[in-house]
Amino acid sequence: MTTLMDVKTGRKAVVAGIEGSGALRRRMLDMGIVPGVELEVMRQAPWGGPIQLRLRGYYLAMRRSECAQIAVAERI
Amino acid sequence: MDKVRIALIGNPNVGKSTVFNALTGSNQQTGNWAGKTVERRSGLAHKEGLVIELVDLPGTYSFTAYSQEEVITRDYILRDKPDAVLAIVDAANIERNLYLVLQLLEMTSKVVIGLNMLDLARSTGVDIKAHELSRILRVPVVEIVAAKGQGLDKLLQAAVKVGHSDALKSLSIPYPPELEEKIQRMEEVLKNTGLAKRYPLRWLAIKRLEQDPEIGQEWEVRAVVPVQAHADACCSTGNAVSYDLKSTEDLPGDVLLSELAQAGWGQEEMEMAFADAKYQYINQILPVFKSQVHSGLNLTEKLDQWVLSPIWGYPILTGIVFLAFWVSFILSAPLGDLVSQGMSGLAELVVGVMQGLSIPEVWQSLVRDGMFAGVGAVLAFVPQIAIFFVLYYFLQDSGYLARAAFLGDRFMQMLGLHGKSFFSLISSYGCNVPGIMATRTLEDPKDRLVTILINPLIPCVPRLGVMSAVTAAFFPGGQGALVLVSLLTISILLVMFSALFLRRAVGQTERSAFVMELPLYHLPTWRNILQLAWVRTYSFLKRAWTFILAASVIVWVLSSFPQGVPMNESWAGTMGSWLEGIGRPLGFDWRIMVAIVFGFTAKETTLSTLGILYGVAANASQSIARAMTTAMTGLGAYTFLVVYMLYIPCLATVVTTYKESGSLRWTAFGVAYNLLLSFAVGWLVVQGGHLLGLH
Ligand SMILES: Nc1nc2c(ncn2[C@@H]2O[C@H](COP(=O)(O)OP(=O)(O)OP(=O)(O)O)[C@@H](O)[C@H]2O)c(=O)[nH]1
Repeated sequence: MTTLMDVKTGRKAVVAGIEGSGALRRRMLDMGIVPGVELEVMRQAPWGGPIQLRLRGYYLAMRRSECAQIAVAERI
Repeated sequence: MDKVRIALIGNPNVGKSTVFNALTGSNQQTGNWAGKTVERRSGLAHKEGLVIELVDLPGTYSFTAYSQEEVITRDYILRDKPDAVLAIVDAANIERNLYLVLQLLEMTSKVVIGLNMLDLARSTGVDIKAHELSRILRVPVVEIVAAKGQGLDKLLQAAVKVGHSDALKSLSIPYPPELEEKIQRMEEVLKNTGLAKRYPLRWLAIKRLEQDPEIGQEWEVRAVVPVQAHADACCSTGNAVSYDLKSTEDLPGDVLLSELAQAGWGQEEMEMAFADAKYQYINQILPVFKSQVHSGLNLTEKLDQWVLSPIWGYPILTGIVFLAFWVSFILSAPLGDLVSQGMSGLAELVVGVMQGLSIPEVWQSLVRDGMFAGVGAVLAFVPQIAIFFVLYYFLQDSGYLARAAFLGDRFMQMLGLHGKSFFSLISSYGCNVPGIMATRTLEDPKDRLVTILINPLIPCVPRLGVMSAVTAAFFPGGQGALVLVSLLTISILLVMFSALFLRRAVGQTERSAFVMELPLYHLPTWRNILQLAWVRTYSFLKRAWTFILAASVIVWVLSSFPQGVPMNESWAGTMGSWLEGIGRPLGFDWRIMVAIVFGFTAKETTLSTLGILYGVAANASQSIARAMTTAMTGLGAYTFLVVYMLYIPCLATVVTTYKESGSLRWTAFGVAYNLLLSFAVGWLVVQGGHLLGLH
């Protein structure tokens, strides 16, 4: 499975699904991360820090472990 | 008089507080939702002979049962049924903002939308046709720029009008057929229950399909205290509404739910399907009212290229932190001195009058050395506190603090802390009380508890003030800076150690998380910032004439009686001699021990207590610290600084810990932990110092 973790900085990807359950998954859904939405990886904080995404016209920061829960289909 | 009740909702950071402050002015009350640690603000506005009560609900992204804030917001709308709900929407981020609005429209039709941040949206080239949006959603949409006060009158008017009218036929979001079919089946099951009479059936059915745990719980509204027209503008703890869990109604529908689950529509699929459908609908209507006129230059992106850059991000962060501390400590010093001088001048004046009235010497001493010295030593910190919080809220409202959290998250992650703990720990440098209160935004109760318990290890502004006065007396010049840096390093190392240790102690096994919006940069409104900083400064001020006045008088009494004996034979001296045993391994004399005990009321008093005990005029912190140099060695002073920095912060912090954790056991644990840790580290410092041949 390709996850958001595999998407390089500056690239875009389309969400295929979200793994996991409970509050965290629901929070991601509420923030607009649903299947079909396009995400752009803006930048990654150094030393394994969080990742900045752009989606639906706003910016979101997430840790890498959260990004690993998001399955994507990459697009250039 | 006619009264209308209007609730304000919106995503975080959309300008809700700005609208609320502009409409209510100083007619505000801040408190907590009873039984829940979520802030409740309400205020009054007057318009054309009407009294309008505005209730500012917490900023949220959704209305799930996963966080207290969301539950409170939705309970208020459904159970307290305000006459109208004002939804503030960020025009620059309308897609995600409408997601909350769609959920709102499923709960009530008495909605008015305030389309805010239009200036920002236009500058990024986004054009929004308010009338089209209004036509589609079937509710009034008013264009506003809250920061400049534009359109607010119209907004209030529209809300009042909706409040007076009957419920309208609201928009019902068209879900895809496979979901629509399930909603209808669930509606069929629920339609004859008691709940269906009180709540919108469609909303109930959707929540039941999502298996929302709060649905079916019946709450009783206990006390509703109306807001007074001229209540204390600040800080009264308006215990507004309190809910009691009355009964839990077992809702029918389990059969249907398990049937659906068998067919592959479990809770997770349902949650996903409904979120997905709402966003699909938004995408479908978006082109009707939103257009990108030009691809305007995006200030946020330009700034972020520097601010979040892997190379420049950290130097900028360090620079800003340094500047913030420099301004709140060094630049504010003359102001603090001015306050000290003013207080001692005032003391002389009062004592002069007392002499004129030939009031006995003892009373004069009580006023001068007890009351004025004690309170004055604390008031001198007011400029520092105020400036720190003005800067803090400036950074928060501008959007920079979220960036700082982004950059600092690697560190938080290493400690197993939630990303949002960052905000709590930073504001603790101002004062531990708001730092602990800031943990409210953490969803996981164990994450929250760990962060609450770590907070006291962070030295607050007043503590740092006392520390720098003592440091300056013992370690002049460049040596002093080195000492302070080493102390701050010790505190950070202990924060790290404690985070890891407390996660174990609390039994936290969940991986901590961090999902945070990085808002667009805003130029903050001064009214908001000053109001927030004032709330913090005021609660500090209030302590000066309550706790601190009382503590100063008690110290004075203990050290002045029995009269005419040397200090070490006074009551304070006797008390000190009992405590000397504890202090001996650390090289503390009885005075230090007494000061440490009294520092518990408020750590700021430590200097004035020492002043009284060393018998120096206690109005200039420098002179007190200098008096200590005759009684202590350098190593002793350093040990004192370490212990002083780390032991139980103060009564207010302990009380806050108890209120926020709701557990006497964990509060006691926290106090014991701080005491043991401070003395243990102090002892290590002494031993280490001896080994190195220091004294
Ligand atoms: N450019 C612009 N900025 C605004 C406008 N309205 C508010 N702001 C700014 O947006 C920031 C956030 O405003 P707040 O009122 O604190 O937002 P809030 O919705 O109360 O945020 P929470 O307290 O997190 O719920 C502040 O810096 C405001 O000055 C506006 O119309 N235009």
